[in-house]
Amino acid sequence: MELTELKSAWQHVNISEKSVTDLQKMTKIANLPSIKKIRTKLIAEVIGLTLFSFIYYDWFDGDQKPLYANLLLLSSLLLYICNDIAGYMAVVRPVNGNNLKISIQSYLVRIKRLSVFSSVISFLYGISLIVFFTSVINFTQEKQLILVGIIIFLLTMIFSSISLWKKWIKSLKRQIKEFSIDD
Amino acid sequence: MIYMFCFYYELKKNDCMEKEFLKTIHGNQQIIYKVCRMYRDNKEDQEDLFQEIVYQLWKSYPTFKGESKVSSWLYRIALNTSIAVYRKANPIIDNYAEFPENMHPLEEVAVSENEERLFSALRKLNNAEKAVISLYLEDFNYQEIAEITGLSESNVGVKLNRIKNKLKILINE
Repeated sequence: MELTELKSAWQHVNISEKSVTDLQKMTKIANLPSIKKIRTKLIAEVIGLTLFSFIYYDWFDGDQKPLYANLLLLSSLLLYICNDIAGYMAVVRPVNGNNLKISIQSYLVRIKRLSVFSSVISFLYGISLIVFFTSVINFTQEKQLILVGIIIFLLTMIFSSISLWKKWIKSLKRQIKEFSIDD
Repeated sequence: MIYMFCFYYELKKNDCMEKEFLKTIHGNQQIIYKVCRMYRDNKEDQEDLFQEIVYQLWKSYPTFKGESKVSSWLYRIALNTSIAVYRKANPIIDNYAEFPENMHPLEEVAVSENEERLFSALRKLNNAEKAVISLYLEDFNYQEIAEITGLSESNVGVKLNRIKNKLKILINE
């Protein structure tokens, strides 16, 4: 196949045309398969965490816990919700720039920032839960072992989340490198 | 009362913009189709990407001032979305005939041999190469390709020569 044939094949591709109604449906975020998952997770987390912030004081004896434990839990909850929303906003808008190179570079910066915030805030949230529930406990050896188990579980979750972020960042870095002439 | 009027005016304006947008996309949907077919291996992923691109186009439509060609804007957003959107790596499948017939209940279109060979070869290029060659195949000049991709005009020339040679080998494989 010569280049003229390639051009002709490209310019005369047969397509299954979509109707205006189908296209209109695609402009609604609720119909997007990839974003739908992120949105459902966001809504579930925000509702769950907001409910928890209202009931934790009565259900888990917040009045018997020290003030610092209550404040730490509430502030980390709030941070977690804010980060969730900020993350959603950053992920659903990958296009941001006058050309492909700038746009991907700016997306990479946003994703890197988000990965740091998400990891730190998730860690803080986990720690604040542990502090809250252990602040008035008399530790026995058994309870200490359970606590170590919980901390190991928390760290494993954080590390697996970091490795997912790393994969995404690596993929974006590769895209930027591909635009360099030496590649 | 004035708020009601403003609200009504905004609704009308948005409605008008949506109609204009849909008309533009409907008339140029072959661009999105080609980009999806080049960047994704199977029809399910292509369909998902198509929706993703239309959504991103709609979001960026208010900033499209008509200073550039509609096709330039469409390609920029479509290519950008295809490259940036994260997805789990799938095994590369080049032969459409290997799919069970009932796997994708979407409309099937007649695919010529040349067309299939072209897309098969294109899918083996890296993402930046796909972007550059697709713009070249669409008859954009070096300056336009440089503006859309962010490469310099001379780099476009160098890259294009390499891609053309690579493509020739891939097509004749």
